[in-house]
Amino acid sequence: MNQILVIAWREITRLRKRFSGGASPVAVLILLAVLGVSAYFLRDNVTLGNGLYRVGVSGDVPPIQDSRFEVMEVSPEEGQVLLAEKKLDLLIIDAEVYAREDDKSQFAERALKQYMEEAELIRVGNSFAEDEAFPLRVGINYLGAEQPAAGNDAGTGQGETATPPPPPTTKPEEIIIPSLTPPPAPFTQVLVALIYILPITFISIFFTSSFMDEKANRRLTVLLSAPVSPFQIILGKMLPYAVFAISTTALIAYFTNANVPLALAIFAPTTLFIFAIYLMVPLFYRTFKDTTFISMLVTTLTTAYLVFPAMFTNSNDLAYISPLALAVKMYRNEPFGWREYLLPSLPMTAIFVFAMFAGTRLLNEEFLMGYKPITRKIADAIYLMMAHSKPWFAVMLWSFLVIPAVYMSQVVMLAFATNLPVSLIIGAVLFTAAFSEELVKTVGIVVLAERGVVSSVREILWLSFLSALGFLIGEKLLVFVSVSFVSEAQVSSALFGAGVFLLIPLLAHFVFVAIVNLLRLKLRFPYWLALIIGTIFHFIYNATILRGGA
Amino acid sequence: MIYPFLAVVKKELTAVLRERTIVISILIQFFIASFSSGLLLGMLSLYDADTIMQFSGNNIRIGVVGSASDQLAARMSERGLNVISFDTLANAQAAYFAGEVIAFVDAPQNADGLTQVKLYLPDSEAVSSIIRMVIQEPLKQFENDLRKANGVEILYTGLKGKPATSFEFVYSVLIPMLMFFPAFVAGSMSIDAITEEIEGKTLQTLLSTPLTVSGMVGAKITSAVILAIMQCAAWLMLIQLNGTVIQNKGWILSMALVIAGITSTMAALSATFLQDRERSQFIYSLLLLAGVGISTLLNISPITTLSRLSIGDPYTNGWDVMIFALIFFALFGFLLRSSRRFNS
Repeated sequence: MNQILVIAWREITRLRKRFSGGASPVAVLILLAVLGVSAYFLRDNVTLGNGLYRVGVSGDVPPIQDSRFEVMEVSPEEGQVLLAEKKLDLLIIDAEVYAREDDKSQFAERALKQYMEEAELIRVGNSFAEDEAFPLRVGINYLGAEQPAAGNDAGTGQGETATPPPPPTTKPEEIIIPSLTPPPAPFTQVLVALIYILPITFISIFFTSSFMDEKANRRLTVLLSAPVSPFQIILGKMLPYAVFAISTTALIAYFTNANVPLALAIFAPTTLFIFAIYLMVPLFYRTFKDTTFISMLVTTLTTAYLVFPAMFTNSNDLAYISPLALAVKMYRNEPFGWREYLLPSLPMTAIFVFAMFAGTRLLNEEFLMGYKPITRKIADAIYLMMAHSKPWFAVMLWSFLVIPAVYMSQVVMLAFATNLPVSLIIGAVLFTAAFSEELVKTVGIVVLAERGVVSSVREILWLSFLSALGFLIGEKLLVFVSVSFVSEAQVSSALFGAGVFLLIPLLAHFVFVAIVNLLRLKLRFPYWLALIIGTIFHFIYNATILRGGA
Repeated sequence: MIYPFLAVVKKELTAVLRERTIVISILIQFFIASFSSGLLLGMLSLYDADTIMQFSGNNIRIGVVGSASDQLAARMSERGLNVISFDTLANAQAAYFAGEVIAFVDAPQNADGLTQVKLYLPDSEAVSSIIRMVIQEPLKQFENDLRKANGVEILYTGLKGKPATSFEFVYSVLIPMLMFFPAFVAGSMSIDAITEEIEGKTLQTLLSTPLTVSGMVGAKITSAVILAIMQCAAWLMLIQLNGTVIQNKGWILSMALVIAGITSTMAALSATFLQDRERSQFIYSLLLLAGVGISTLLNISPITTLSRLSIGDPYTNGWDVMIFALIFFALFGFLLRSSRRFNS
C-alpha cells in the first residue's frame, strides 16, 4: 500500500511540474473562464435546428426568441412576394400565419407551433388568474394486470344508489396540467447525466498521456526495475486521477442537487470502466498519432455506449445496460432495484478487473517498447496473459473472463444494426454476435498453438472443449444476473442461449470452436476464413434457436 | 523550396495510411453517423407522437365514458385515435380487462371551477408512456377549448406543419458534425506530427535539410487538411447517396477546408508555444471548445453557416465562407511568425 501511495505522490508532482511552467496556468484559467461564460449564455439558446428558418413578420406579432428562427420585419405585400420566392419560410401578419406547401415551409410551421404554444402559455399565465389560464386537471391512474374479484358491491346492499367502486389502481393518482407537463422523453436528464461522463473521460486522457510520456522517455523502464510490482505501478499512477474523477462526480452531484452517495454508486463502475479502457491505450500504442486516433475511437464508443441506451429509459428495459439510465431515474426521483443497478455495473467492473489483470501482465519492457503491427501486438498480449498458467486453465479462464467484453460489444452492434433495414437487423446482429464469440473463444488457443505450446489434434480438441465450457459458464452466469431481466429483447435469448438444458449449447460451442481451431491449425486456413466458416455454423444454430423460440 | 515541402506532405500522408490510423478515424465517423441516426430513429419511433400515430394510431384503442361526440372524445378522434364509448366507468373497466381497450378516460367532471379528467393506463412504463405521448395533444386542445369558454383566447392555435425533428437533426447536427469532425481530428494530427519531431529529437535533423521552419509546419498542416477534406468529400457523397439533398456543395467543401485550416493552425500554434504533446493537446481541446462557444455567442457560428449553405438558404453564400477564410489567414500569419521559436 505504501508503495502505491509513493507512486501516486510522484504522479501528482510530475503533473504539477508539467503544468507550472510558462503562461499555461493563466491560459488554462482564461480558457476555462471563456468556456464557463459561453456555456452560461448558451444553455438556453442552443437547440436543434439553429438558424434554419427565416420568418417575416408584419403588424402585431409577439417577439420570437428562438434560435431556430431568423426574423425580419416586412410589409404584408413584400412578405407575400418573399414567401412565394422561397426567400422566407413563413410569413406572420398579426395573428395569421402563412406557409407554403413545400417541406421546408411546413417544417418551419411545426417549429413555430412548438414555440408559440409555449409563448402563449407564458402570456396567458401572466395575464389571467391561474384557474382561468389552466382550467384542466388530469388525474393519471395506473391499473394492475388482473381484474379484481367481483363481490365488493354485495356488502353495500343499496342497489342502484351505490356508486360503483373506483377502478383498482397500483399507484397513487398523479395530477397533471396537460399544457404544463413535459413529454416523458428523458433527453434533459440524459444530458445532465452526460455532464458526469465528460470530466471522467477528460481526466482519464491525462492518465493515458502520463503513461505514454513516461513510456516515451523510458522513465517507466526505470520504474519497472525498482522493487515494485506492475500492479502497484498501475494502481499508484491511476490513484490520483481516480480520486480526482470521483471528487468531480461528487461535486457535480452536489451542484445538480442529486443524491451524492447514490451518484457515486452509479458512476464509480463507469469511472473504473473508462480508466480500464484508457489503461489499454498506452500499452498498445506505437506512435502519437495512433494514440490520438485510438483515444478518440474509445471516447466515441464509450459515450455512445453510455448515451444511446439511456435515451430509452422507461420505454425499454434494455436501457439499463447504461448506467446513465440509472442516473436518469435518480434525477426523476424514481426508485430502482439491485437488478437494475447490477446490469450495467457488473460488466463494467468486470472489465476493469480484467484490464488490471492484463495490465500487470503486459507492463514489461519488451512488450511496451516492441514496434509490431497491431494484430501481432494483440497476439503477444494474449500470450503474455496466458503464459503464466497451465494451458488448460488459461484457456478456460480466458473464455470465462472475456464474457463482459463480448456482451458489451454485442450491445454496441445492436445499436449499429438499428441503421439497417428492419428485415436485416436480426440477421446482422446474430452474425456479428456469432463472429465475436468465435473470435474470443478461439484466439487464445490459436495464439498458444502458434507459439508451440499445444500441437496435437487431441490437445486442440481438449482445449476447444474447455474454452467452450468456460464461455458457457460465464454466459450462463451473465444470464442469471442480467439477461432474464431484459426478457423483452427477443434477440437476447438467441445471443445468450436461454435454454435450460445446458448440454446442447455446450456441444454446439465445442463444435464451432473445434471447427475454427482445426481449420486454422491443422488445415492451415487463414484465421479470418476459419473464423467465418465457424461463424456461419454458429449463425445457423442461433437462427434455428430463435425460430424455435419465437 | 516546393520539393522538400511536398516530401514532408507525402511522408506524413503515407505514415498515416501505413499505420491505418485513418481507418480508425473513418470508423469513428461512421460510428458517430450511424449512432446519431440510430438515436434519431429511436427518438422518432419512441418519443415522437406523430410517428407513433403514423405507424400504430389505429391500434391505440382508448375507451371514453360518455358519448364519442363529447368535446374531449372528439379531439381524440381528430388526432386519429380509435375511440370507443362506454356508458359507465364499470363497463370501460371491464372492456380494459377484456383487452378491448388499452386505456380509458372517465367523463370530465367539474370541481371547484376546474375541470377534472381521470385517465386510466396500464401499469407498464413502456405502454403508458406511449399513450401519454399520443394523448397529450388532444388534452391540450381540450384545455384550449375550456380556456375559450372562460374567455381566455389562445393565439396561433391553428398551426400544423410537418414534424421537423428529422429535418432539423440532419441539417443542423449531422451534416455539420460530419464536415467538422475531420477538421477536429486534423488539429490533433498536426499536434502529433509536430511534437513527435520535437520529442523524438528529429526536428533539428529535419531543419538541417533544405526546409524552413514555416515550410515544415505548413507541410504538416497541409497533410492533415488534405486528409480532412478527403473524408468530407466522401461523407458528402454518402449523404447524397442516402437521398438527402445538399445544396452549395462547393461552398460546403470550401467551408470544411477553411475550418480544418483554422483548427490545424490553432493546434500547431499550441504545439509551437508548449512544445510537448500532452499540454498542447489539452490546450487545443480547450481552445476548440472555447472557439465553438465564442463563435456561437458572436452569431458567426460555422455550424449555422454550414447548415444554411446545405439547405440552400438564399441569404447565405460564399461571402460567409470568406469571413472564416480571413480568420484562417490571420491565424496562419501569426503561426508563421511564431514558428521561428523552433529555430532557437
